[in-house]
Amino acid sequence: MTEPLIVLDKLKKVYTRGHFSRVPTFTLEADLTIDEPAIVGVVGPNGAGKTTLFEMMTGSNEPTGGKVIVAGTDIHRVKYRERDRLAIHYHQSYQVRRFRKVVPSFMLASSPSKKPMVHLFDEPQFNPQDGYIGFMLDFFRKLRAEGRLVFVCLHPTASYHLEILSEIAERFLLVSNGGVTPHATFKSLIGDERAKTYLGPEMIRVAGTLA
Amino acid sequence: MALIEAKGVHVRFGDRVVLEEVDMSVLEKECHGIMGPNGAGKTTFFNVLTGRAKPTRGELFLDGENVAGLPPHRIARKGVARSFQIMTLFDEYTARDNVMVALPQFRDRGFDMRRAAAGDSHFKSEAEKVLADVGLADKADIRAKELPYGDRRALEIAVALAQKPRVLCLDEPTSGLGTDGVQRLLGLAQKLKGKLTMIVIEHDMSFLFSLADRISVLHWGQVVARGTPLQLQENPWVKRSNLGKFS
Repeated sequence: MTEPLIVLDKLKKVYTRGHFSRVPTFTLEADLTIDEPAIVGVVGPNGAGKTTLFEMMTGSNEPTGGKVIVAGTDIHRVKYRERDRLAIHYHQSYQVRRFRKVVPSFMLASSPSKKPMVHLFDEPQFNPQDGYIGFMLDFFRKLRAEGRLVFVCLHPTASYHLEILSEIAERFLLVSNGGVTPHATFKSLIGDERAKTYLGPEMIRVAGTLA
Repeated sequence: MALIEAKGVHVRFGDRVVLEEVDMSVLEKECHGIMGPNGAGKTTFFNVLTGRAKPTRGELFLDGENVAGLPPHRIARKGVARSFQIMTLFDEYTARDNVMVALPQFRDRGFDMRRAAAGDSHFKSEAEKVLADVGLADKADIRAKELPYGDRRALEIAVALAQKPRVLCLDEPTSGLGTDGVQRLLGLAQKLKGKLTMIVIEHDMSFLFSLADRISVLHWGQVVARGTPLQLQENPWVKRSNLGKFS
């Protein structure tokens, strides 16, 4: 393995309000590296910036500062229609490739890779009644076995969400208060005070039985 | 060799990616099920297969010939027939007439008045044979709109069968049917199985699990799982869901 699968290099997004005196309304910062194929669980309260983070990682939302390097390539310097050869953002049950065009495509580089190495699943709809969960989890495992990096973003509202997370993910990211904190284990994730506040006592109790 | 071979079929409508990279291989006389949640791309895959949608990239081989992007009538002539999720019958005409117009010999005749005047008895008996195959032998004279829903579903299949297809594609054949109707349709599908190649999209999992030789599970426009019904039912999450409760 030559290049890390993803590097978020002092990545920063600031949303502002007002035209003359810009007032920051939202800030998200991330600085981390994932070298190896893995399934990464991403959790965080609503509005914490999970989707913004995913959008920056797939090249559809231009960061205010810093870089996203996917398998050695700065995704924001790649032609818009070729960015999905590096990373794909799956919304709940569909996929949209919409890129805000900042510079003309001819000024950008081609993607060196044909197959996307990073797959981000944004709150996939899991319904324990229909059994598709099993196929979805197997799909995540298959992608990982092919050497890709898989992010699964979940907003745990039921105990089986925690079950899925602890079953599938090998490492975790907690998105909270404008920051992204890596956790190596499920246990350390649910030990994080911010995770405790966000999940609430009942979910933490269930999570404790899984860790 | 596979009769149908899809390789890297990709379909997008504007920004929206409906099929990512679908590979699928269906053997001659196989009954291949396709299941997946709403919006997974099942019907779009059928549309590619029958020429109603042109893949953005990828190839589709029918008996070794690349047919991706051919218009629907050309693909139909090559022996691919389909039913729709929403029924498409000539409501004002009898069951027999609906089947008759789908017969290839009838279409070949065109508008030859002399032969039309000579009578349609040959076509009639052909159509009645097909109707008998789907259990509508005694309803040939009833107008399509007066048939009960289950019979209309069967009639739709008869219309597809009248084309003497090599491949029969059924898009959610059980939609709108009650338990009895589903059972009846299952019986009909099982009777057809092995006689021709079948591809069946279905939401009713018990139906698919008891019919298909193999099943492809579509999600996010990709094949996320594939196997025999038994292999798929081995999955622990399937076992604990409603799906697992079927034998």
